[in-house]
Amino acid sequence: MNTDVSIDAFTDLALDVATALIAAGAHSGRVHTNLKRLAQKWGFGIELNLTFNAALITVRDASGNTLTRYKNTPPHSVHLERLTEYSRMTWKVADGELSFDEAQQEARRIAQSPNYNDWLVAVAVGFSCACLCLLAGGSFLNGCIAFLAASLGSLVRVHIVKWKFNPMISFVVASFVTSLIAGMDTLFGIGSSPEATLATAVLYLVPGVPLVNSIIDLIEGYLTSAWNRALFAAFILLCIAVGMALSIALLGIDNF
Amino acid sequence: MEIGFLFHILLDFSLAFVVACCWGILFGTPARILWIAGLLGGWAHAFRFVLLQFDVGLISATLIASLSVGVIGIFCSHKVYHPSVVFTMPACITMIPGLYAYRTMLGSIKLTDMSASQLSAELIPEIMHNMMLTLSLLFTLAIGISIAALLFRSKSVPETTRKNKRRRL
Repeated sequence: MNTDVSIDAFTDLALDVATALIAAGAHSGRVHTNLKRLAQKWGFGIELNLTFNAALITVRDASGNTLTRYKNTPPHSVHLERLTEYSRMTWKVADGELSFDEAQQEARRIAQSPNYNDWLVAVAVGFSCACLCLLAGGSFLNGCIAFLAASLGSLVRVHIVKWKFNPMISFVVASFVTSLIAGMDTLFGIGSSPEATLATAVLYLVPGVPLVNSIIDLIEGYLTSAWNRALFAAFILLCIAVGMALSIALLGIDNF
Repeated sequence: MEIGFLFHILLDFSLAFVVACCWGILFGTPARILWIAGLLGGWAHAFRFVLLQFDVGLISATLIASLSVGVIGIFCSHKVYHPSVVFTMPACITMIPGLYAYRTMLGSIKLTDMSASQLSAELIPEIMHNMMLTLSLLFTLAIGISIAALLFRSKSVPETTRKNKRRRL
Protein backbone atom coordinates (compact mmCIF):
# COMPACT_ATOMS: atom_id res chain seq x y z
CA MET A 1 0.00 0.00 0.00
CA ASN A 2 1.28 3.44 -0.87
CA THR A 3 1.10 5.72 2.09
CA ASP A 4 2.39 8.73 0.17
CA VAL A 5 -1.04 9.55 -1.26
CA SER A 6 -2.65 12.15 0.96
CA ILE A 7 -6.24 11.60 2.00
CA ASP A 8 -7.01 15.16 0.92
CA ALA A 9 -5.78 14.71 -2.66
CA PHE A 10 -7.39 11.30 -2.94
CA THR A 11 -10.81 12.58 -1.85
CA ASP A 12 -10.66 15.34 -4.45
CA LEU A 13 -9.74 12.86 -7.17
CA ALA A 14 -12.55 10.52 -6.11
CA LEU A 15 -15.05 13.40 -6.19
CA ASP A 16 -13.91 14.50 -9.65
CA VAL A 17 -14.22 10.99 -11.03
CA ALA A 18 -17.61 10.38 -9.37
CA THR A 19 -19.22 13.63 -10.54
CA ALA A 20 -17.82 13.30 -14.06
CA LEU A 21 -19.13 9.72 -14.30
CA ILE A 22 -22.61 10.70 -13.09
CA ALA A 23 -22.74 13.57 -15.60
CA ALA A 24 -21.64 11.26 -18.43
CA GLY A 25 -24.56 8.90 -17.76
CA ALA A 26 -23.13 6.14 -15.55
CA HIS A 27 -25.46 4.35 -13.16
CA SER A 28 -24.53 4.54 -9.48
CA GLY A 29 -23.28 0.95 -9.32
CA ARG A 30 -20.63 1.71 -11.94
CA VAL A 31 -19.45 4.82 -10.08
CA HIS A 32 -19.25 2.74 -6.92
CA THR A 33 -17.15 -0.07 -8.40
CA ASN A 34 -14.78 2.35 -10.16
CA LEU A 35 -14.12 4.31 -6.98
CA LYS A 36 -13.76 1.15 -4.86
CA ARG A 37 -11.01 0.06 -7.23
CA LEU A 38 -9.12 3.32 -6.76
CA ALA A 39 -9.59 3.31 -2.99
CA GLN A 40 -8.42 -0.28 -2.55
CA LYS A 41 -5.21 0.36 -4.43
CA TRP A 42 -4.17 3.25 -2.21
CA GLY A 43 -5.45 1.65 0.99
CA PHE A 44 -8.45 3.86 1.73
CA GLY A 45 -11.94 2.97 2.82
CA ILE A 46 -14.63 4.81 0.91
CA GLU A 47 -18.35 5.45 1.48
CA LEU A 48 -20.51 7.13 -1.13
CA ASN A 49 -23.83 8.89 -1.26
CA LEU A 50 -24.67 9.56 -4.89
CA THR A 51 -27.60 11.61 -6.07
CA PHE A 52 -28.33 12.76 -9.59
CA ASN A 53 -26.54 16.09 -9.32
CA ALA A 54 -24.03 15.67 -6.53
CA ALA A 55 -21.75 13.21 -4.80
CA LEU A 56 -20.99 13.00 -1.07
CA ILE A 57 -17.91 10.95 -0.25
CA THR A 58 -16.31 9.91 3.01
CA VAL A 59 -12.77 8.57 2.83
CA ARG A 60 -11.07 6.76 5.72
CA ASP A 61 -7.33 6.15 5.76
CA ALA A 62 -5.38 3.33 7.41
CA SER A 63 -4.87 5.20 10.69
CA GLY A 64 -8.57 5.96 11.03
CA ASN A 65 -8.70 9.61 9.92
CA THR A 66 -11.79 10.45 7.90
CA LEU A 67 -12.55 13.19 5.42
CA THR A 68 -16.01 13.97 4.02
CA ARG A 69 -16.49 16.14 0.98
CA TYR A 70 -19.33 17.09 -1.30
CA LYS A 71 -19.34 18.20 -4.93
CA ASN A 72 -21.99 19.08 -7.48
CA THR A 73 -21.83 17.48 -10.91
CA PRO A 74 -20.99 19.43 -14.07
CA PRO A 75 -23.94 19.90 -16.49
CA HIS A 76 -25.30 16.54 -17.58
CA SER A 77 -24.51 15.38 -21.09
CA VAL A 78 -24.51 11.69 -21.91
CA HIS A 79 -21.08 10.59 -23.10
CA LEU A 80 -20.58 6.85 -22.93
CA GLU A 81 -16.96 6.95 -24.14
CA ARG A 82 -16.00 8.51 -20.80
CA LEU A 83 -17.41 5.46 -19.01
CA THR A 84 -14.93 3.30 -20.89
CA GLU A 85 -12.07 5.70 -20.27
CA TYR A 86 -12.66 5.99 -16.53
CA SER A 87 -13.08 2.23 -16.23
CA ARG A 88 -9.73 1.68 -17.98
CA MET A 89 -8.09 4.36 -15.89
CA THR A 90 -9.21 2.76 -12.63
CA TRP A 91 -8.08 -0.68 -13.79
CA LYS A 92 -4.67 0.67 -14.74
CA VAL A 93 -4.41 2.17 -11.27
CA ALA A 94 -5.49 -1.09 -9.66
CA ASP A 95 -2.81 -2.97 -11.60
CA GLY A 96 -0.14 -0.45 -10.66
CA GLU A 97 0.36 0.93 -14.17
CA LEU A 98 -0.51 4.50 -13.17
CA SER A 99 0.86 6.54 -10.30
CA PHE A 100 -1.36 8.94 -8.36
CA ASP A 101 -0.16 11.99 -10.33
CA GLU A 102 -0.70 10.22 -13.63
CA ALA A 103 -4.17 9.17 -12.53
CA GLN A 104 -5.01 12.80 -11.71
CA GLN A 105 -3.80 13.95 -15.13
CA GLU A 106 -5.72 11.15 -16.83
CA ALA A 107 -8.92 12.05 -14.97
CA ARG A 108 -8.55 15.68 -16.00
CA ARG A 109 -7.94 14.70 -19.62
CA ILE A 110 -11.00 12.41 -19.74
CA ALA A 111 -13.23 15.08 -18.19
CA GLN A 112 -12.37 17.38 -21.08
CA SER A 113 -12.46 14.81 -23.89
CA PRO A 114 -14.56 16.12 -26.80
CA ASN A 115 -17.93 14.71 -27.74
CA TYR A 116 -19.18 14.37 -31.31
CA ASN A 117 -19.66 17.55 -33.35
CA ASP A 118 -23.14 19.13 -32.95
CA TRP A 119 -23.80 19.01 -36.70
CA LEU A 120 -22.94 15.33 -36.87
CA VAL A 121 -25.24 14.68 -33.90
CA ALA A 122 -28.03 16.64 -35.62
CA VAL A 123 -27.70 14.55 -38.79
CA ALA A 124 -27.54 11.32 -36.77
CA VAL A 125 -30.62 12.31 -34.79
CA GLY A 126 -32.40 13.08 -38.07
CA PHE A 127 -31.58 9.67 -39.55
CA SER A 128 -32.55 7.98 -36.34
CA CYS A 129 -35.98 9.61 -36.16
CA ALA A 130 -36.54 9.08 -39.89
CA CYS A 131 -35.87 5.36 -39.48
CA LEU A 132 -38.12 5.20 -36.42
CA CYS A 133 -40.80 6.90 -38.52
CA LEU A 134 -40.41 4.24 -41.21
CA LEU A 135 -40.53 1.53 -38.52
CA ALA A 136 -43.75 3.05 -37.21
CA GLY A 137 -45.31 2.67 -40.64
CA GLY A 138 -44.62 6.06 -42.22
CA SER A 139 -43.89 6.39 -45.93
CA PHE A 140 -40.63 7.68 -47.40
CA LEU A 141 -41.92 11.27 -47.52
CA ASN A 142 -42.96 11.09 -43.87
CA GLY A 143 -39.44 9.88 -43.07
CA CYS A 144 -37.92 12.87 -44.87
CA ILE A 145 -40.04 15.29 -42.88
CA ALA A 146 -39.16 13.49 -39.65
CA PHE A 147 -35.47 13.85 -40.61
CA LEU A 148 -35.85 17.58 -41.17
CA ALA A 149 -37.86 18.11 -37.99
CA ALA A 150 -35.53 16.15 -35.72
CA SER A 151 -32.31 17.64 -37.14
CA LEU A 152 -33.52 21.22 -36.85
CA GLY A 153 -34.96 20.60 -33.40
CA SER A 154 -31.67 19.10 -32.24
CA LEU A 155 -29.72 22.12 -33.50
CA VAL A 156 -32.14 24.50 -31.82
CA ARG A 157 -31.76 22.64 -28.54
CA VAL A 158 -27.96 22.66 -28.70
CA HIS A 159 -27.96 26.41 -29.32
CA ILE A 160 -30.37 27.16 -26.50
CA VAL A 161 -28.19 25.15 -24.14
CA LYS A 162 -25.14 27.05 -25.39
CA TRP A 163 -26.83 30.36 -24.64
CA LYS A 164 -27.10 29.17 -21.00
CA PHE A 165 -30.87 29.11 -20.80
CA ASN A 166 -32.51 26.68 -18.42
CA PRO A 167 -32.08 23.18 -19.90
CA MET A 168 -35.77 22.42 -19.45
CA ILE A 169 -36.69 25.42 -21.62
CA SER A 170 -34.48 23.93 -24.32
CA PHE A 171 -36.60 20.75 -24.29
CA VAL A 172 -39.86 22.70 -24.56
CA VAL A 173 -38.58 24.83 -27.44
CA ALA A 174 -36.94 21.91 -29.27
CA SER A 175 -40.09 19.81 -28.99
CA PHE A 176 -42.16 22.80 -30.16
CA VAL A 177 -39.96 23.37 -33.23
CA THR A 178 -39.79 19.67 -34.05
CA SER A 179 -43.50 19.02 -33.83
CA LEU A 180 -44.25 22.25 -35.71
CA ILE A 181 -42.23 20.94 -38.67
CA ALA A 182 -43.45 17.37 -38.24
CA GLY A 183 -47.03 18.64 -38.21
CA MET A 184 -46.60 20.01 -41.74
CA ASP A 185 -47.38 16.70 -43.40
CA THR A 186 -50.57 16.34 -41.38
CA LEU A 187 -51.50 19.87 -42.40
CA PHE A 188 -50.78 19.43 -46.12
CA GLY A 189 -51.56 15.72 -46.35
CA ILE A 190 -48.06 14.64 -47.43
CA GLY A 191 -47.22 10.93 -47.35
CA SER A 192 -49.40 7.98 -46.39
CA SER A 193 -49.42 8.14 -42.58
CA PRO A 194 -48.62 11.67 -41.39
CA GLU A 195 -49.46 10.89 -37.76
CA ALA A 196 -46.41 8.59 -37.59
CA THR A 197 -44.17 11.60 -38.27
CA LEU A 198 -45.62 13.58 -35.40
CA ALA A 199 -45.29 10.61 -33.06
CA THR A 200 -41.69 9.68 -33.88
CA ALA A 201 -39.93 12.97 -34.68
CA VAL A 202 -39.66 14.02 -31.02
CA LEU A 203 -38.30 10.65 -29.86
CA TYR A 204 -34.72 11.97 -29.87
CA LEU A 205 -35.65 14.15 -26.88
CA VAL A 206 -36.88 11.21 -24.79
CA PRO A 207 -34.37 10.85 -21.93
CA GLY A 208 -33.61 7.18 -22.49
CA VAL A 209 -30.38 7.01 -20.52
CA PRO A 210 -31.74 8.55 -17.27
CA LEU A 211 -34.88 6.42 -17.56
CA VAL A 212 -32.96 3.17 -17.93
CA ASN A 213 -30.37 4.19 -15.32
CA SER A 214 -33.15 4.97 -12.91
CA ILE A 215 -34.43 1.41 -13.14
CA ILE A 216 -30.91 -0.04 -12.89
CA ASP A 217 -30.30 2.03 -9.73
CA LEU A 218 -33.58 0.78 -8.35
CA ILE A 219 -32.56 -2.82 -9.01
CA GLU A 220 -29.16 -2.28 -7.38
CA GLY A 221 -30.57 -0.44 -4.39
CA TYR A 222 -29.48 3.17 -4.95
CA LEU A 223 -32.88 4.56 -4.09
CA THR A 224 -32.13 8.31 -3.88
CA SER A 225 -30.41 8.36 -7.21
CA ALA A 226 -33.15 6.22 -8.78
CA TRP A 227 -35.83 8.69 -7.67
CA ASN A 228 -33.81 11.66 -8.85
CA ARG A 229 -33.27 10.22 -12.29
CA ALA A 230 -36.90 9.16 -12.62
CA LEU A 231 -38.10 12.63 -11.63
CA PHE A 232 -35.67 14.30 -14.03
CA ALA A 233 -36.74 12.04 -16.90
CA ALA A 234 -40.44 12.40 -16.13
CA PHE A 235 -40.13 16.18 -16.11
CA ILE A 236 -38.35 16.15 -19.47
CA LEU A 237 -41.18 14.03 -20.84
CA LEU A 238 -43.63 16.61 -19.51
CA CYS A 239 -41.62 19.41 -21.18
CA ILE A 240 -41.73 17.51 -24.48
CA ALA A 241 -45.47 17.06 -24.12
CA VAL A 242 -45.94 20.78 -23.38
CA GLY A 243 -43.93 21.75 -26.47
CA MET A 244 -45.98 19.34 -28.57
CA ALA A 245 -49.25 20.55 -27.12
CA LEU A 246 -48.31 24.15 -27.95
CA SER A 247 -47.48 23.45 -31.58
CA ILE A 248 -50.49 21.17 -32.02
CA ALA A 249 -52.72 23.95 -30.70
CA LEU A 250 -51.02 26.40 -33.06
CA LEU A 251 -51.42 24.11 -36.09
CA GLY A 252 -54.98 23.31 -35.12
CA ILE A 253 -54.61 19.55 -35.45
CA ASP A 254 -57.07 17.93 -33.08
CA ASN A 255 -56.92 14.30 -34.14
CA PHE A 256 -53.42 13.41 -32.93
CA MET B 1 -45.29 -14.95 -48.23
CA GLU B 2 -42.04 -16.48 -46.92
CA ILE B 3 -39.99 -14.05 -49.00
CA GLY B 4 -42.14 -11.14 -47.91
CA PHE B 5 -41.65 -12.09 -44.25
CA LEU B 6 -37.88 -12.38 -44.65
CA PHE B 7 -37.83 -9.05 -46.45
CA HIS B 8 -39.72 -7.48 -43.56
CA ILE B 9 -37.24 -8.88 -41.03
CA LEU B 10 -34.34 -7.59 -43.09
CA LEU B 11 -35.94 -4.17 -43.44
CA ASP B 12 -36.61 -4.05 -39.69
CA PHE B 13 -33.01 -5.07 -39.01
CA SER B 14 -31.48 -2.43 -41.30
CA LEU B 15 -33.69 0.39 -40.04
CA ALA B 16 -32.95 -0.50 -36.41
CA PHE B 17 -29.24 -0.77 -37.29
CA VAL B 18 -29.25 2.86 -38.42
CA VAL B 19 -31.29 3.91 -35.39
CA ALA B 20 -28.90 2.24 -32.93
CA CYS B 21 -25.80 3.68 -34.67
CA CYS B 22 -27.30 7.16 -34.57
CA TRP B 23 -28.30 6.84 -30.92
CA GLY B 24 -24.71 5.76 -30.34
CA ILE B 25 -23.53 9.06 -31.85
CA LEU B 26 -26.00 11.00 -29.71
CA PHE B 27 -24.74 9.22 -26.57
CA GLY B 28 -21.05 9.55 -27.41
CA THR B 29 -20.28 5.87 -27.99
CA PRO B 30 -16.72 5.62 -29.42
CA ALA B 31 -16.81 5.63 -33.23
CA ARG B 32 -14.75 2.41 -33.39
CA ILE B 33 -17.52 0.31 -31.81
CA LEU B 34 -20.59 2.05 -33.23
CA TRP B 35 -21.10 -0.91 -35.55
CA ILE B 36 -21.49 -3.26 -32.59
CA ALA B 37 -24.18 -1.00 -31.15
CA GLY B 38 -25.82 -1.01 -34.59
CA LEU B 39 -25.70 -4.80 -34.97
CA LEU B 40 -27.04 -5.37 -31.46
CA GLY B 41 -29.80 -2.80 -31.96
CA GLY B 42 -30.74 -4.32 -35.31
CA TRP B 43 -30.72 -7.79 -33.81
CA ALA B 44 -32.84 -6.72 -30.84
CA HIS B 45 -35.46 -4.96 -32.93
CA ALA B 46 -35.66 -7.66 -35.61
CA PHE B 47 -35.80 -10.40 -32.98
CA ARG B 48 -38.62 -8.57 -31.21
CA PHE B 49 -40.38 -8.15 -34.56
CA VAL B 50 -40.20 -11.90 -35.20
CA LEU B 51 -41.42 -12.68 -31.67
CA LEU B 52 -44.31 -10.26 -32.11
CA GLN B 53 -45.24 -12.01 -35.38
CA PHE B 54 -45.45 -15.28 -33.45
CA ASP B 55 -47.93 -13.70 -31.02
CA VAL B 56 -45.59 -13.32 -28.08
CA GLY B 57 -46.85 -10.34 -26.04
CA LEU B 58 -45.13 -6.98 -26.44
CA ILE B 59 -43.63 -7.00 -22.94
CA SER B 60 -42.38 -10.60 -23.07
CA ALA B 61 -40.96 -10.04 -26.55
CA THR B 62 -39.10 -6.92 -25.42
CA LEU B 63 -37.81 -8.74 -22.35
CA ILE B 64 -36.48 -11.65 -24.39
CA ALA B 65 -34.90 -9.31 -26.96
CA SER B 66 -33.20 -7.09 -24.40
CA LEU B 67 -31.98 -10.10 -22.41
CA SER B 68 -30.42 -11.48 -25.58
CA VAL B 69 -28.73 -8.11 -26.16
CA GLY B 70 -27.42 -8.12 -22.58
CA VAL B 71 -25.98 -11.64 -22.90
CA ILE B 72 -24.42 -11.03 -26.33
CA GLY B 73 -23.13 -7.71 -24.99
CA ILE B 74 -21.17 -9.49 -22.25
CA PHE B 75 -19.30 -11.52 -24.88
CA CYS B 76 -18.75 -8.50 -27.13
CA SER B 77 -17.41 -6.43 -24.24
CA HIS B 78 -14.65 -8.97 -23.67
CA LYS B 79 -13.81 -9.03 -27.37
CA VAL B 80 -13.49 -5.28 -27.86
CA TYR B 81 -12.38 -4.32 -24.34
CA HIS B 82 -15.15 -1.81 -23.59
CA PRO B 83 -17.77 -2.01 -20.81
CA SER B 84 -20.89 -3.57 -22.30
CA VAL B 85 -23.16 -0.67 -21.34
CA VAL B 86 -21.41 1.51 -23.94
CA PHE B 87 -23.08 -0.38 -26.76
CA THR B 88 -26.00 -2.18 -25.11
CA MET B 89 -27.45 1.18 -24.04
CA PRO B 90 -27.92 2.56 -27.60
CA ALA B 91 -29.00 -0.91 -28.77
CA CYS B 92 -31.72 -1.24 -26.15
CA ILE B 93 -32.83 2.35 -26.58
CA THR B 94 -34.03 1.49 -30.10
CA MET B 95 -36.87 -0.21 -28.20
CA ILE B 96 -37.47 2.62 -25.71
CA PRO B 97 -41.22 3.09 -25.19
CA GLY B 98 -41.07 6.79 -26.05
CA LEU B 99 -44.35 6.57 -27.93
CA TYR B 100 -46.22 5.24 -24.88
CA ALA B 101 -44.41 7.61 -22.53
CA TYR B 102 -45.61 10.75 -24.19
CA ARG B 103 -49.02 9.32 -25.00
CA THR B 104 -49.29 9.14 -21.21
CA MET B 105 -48.21 12.76 -20.93
CA LEU B 106 -50.48 13.97 -23.74
CA GLY B 107 -53.37 12.09 -22.17
CA SER B 108 -52.67 13.75 -18.85
CA ILE B 109 -52.67 17.16 -20.53
CA LYS B 110 -56.03 16.33 -22.12
CA LEU B 111 -57.39 15.60 -18.64
CA THR B 112 -57.14 19.32 -17.81
CA ASP B 113 -60.01 19.91 -20.22
CA MET B 114 -63.11 18.92 -18.25
CA SER B 115 -65.42 18.60 -21.24
CA ALA B 116 -62.98 16.36 -23.08
CA SER B 117 -62.52 14.09 -20.08
CA GLN B 118 -66.29 13.77 -19.71
CA LEU B 119 -66.75 13.18 -23.42
CA SER B 120 -64.37 10.27 -23.55
CA ALA B 121 -64.78 7.73 -20.78
CA GLU B 122 -61.77 5.78 -22.02
CA LEU B 123 -59.33 8.60 -21.33
CA ILE B 124 -58.27 7.47 -17.85
CA PRO B 125 -58.00 3.75 -18.69
CA GLU B 126 -55.98 4.80 -21.75
CA ILE B 127 -53.59 6.90 -19.66
CA MET B 128 -53.16 4.11 -17.12
CA HIS B 129 -52.62 1.55 -19.87
CA ASN B 130 -49.94 3.66 -21.54
CA MET B 131 -48.25 4.42 -18.23
CA MET B 132 -48.11 0.79 -17.15
CA LEU B 133 -46.87 -0.25 -20.58
CA THR B 134 -44.13 2.41 -20.43
CA LEU B 135 -43.00 1.32 -16.98
CA SER B 136 -43.02 -2.39 -17.81
CA LEU B 137 -41.09 -1.90 -21.04
CA LEU B 138 -38.56 0.30 -19.23
CA PHE B 139 -38.06 -2.39 -16.61
CA THR B 140 -37.46 -5.03 -19.27
CA LEU B 141 -34.88 -2.83 -21.02
CA ALA B 142 -33.08 -2.06 -17.77
CA ILE B 143 -33.00 -5.74 -16.83
CA GLY B 144 -31.46 -6.50 -20.22
CA ILE B 145 -28.76 -3.86 -19.82
CA SER B 146 -27.89 -4.77 -16.24
CA ILE B 147 -28.08 -8.54 -16.80
CA ALA B 148 -24.35 -8.91 -16.20
CA ALA B 149 -24.65 -7.42 -12.72
CA LEU B 150 -27.67 -9.60 -11.97
CA LEU B 151 -26.27 -12.89 -13.31
CA PHE B 152 -22.82 -12.83 -11.81
CA ARG B 153 -21.96 -12.42 -8.16
CA SER B 154 -19.86 -9.37 -7.45
CA LYS B 155 -16.29 -10.52 -7.02
CA SER B 156 -12.91 -9.01 -7.56
CA VAL B 157 -10.77 -10.62 -10.21
CA PRO B 158 -7.53 -11.90 -8.65
CA GLU B 159 -4.38 -10.00 -9.62
CA THR B 160 -2.82 -12.97 -11.43
CA THR B 161 -5.65 -13.56 -13.90
CA ARG B 162 -6.05 -9.82 -14.41
CA LYS B 163 -2.85 -9.59 -16.42
CA ASN B 164 -5.01 -10.47 -19.38
CA LYS B 165 -6.35 -7.01 -20.23
CA ARG B 166 -9.61 -8.34 -21.64
CA ARG B 167 -10.77 -9.30 -18.18
CA ARG B 168 -10.55 -5.72 -16.95
CA LEU B 169 -13.96 -4.32 -17.74
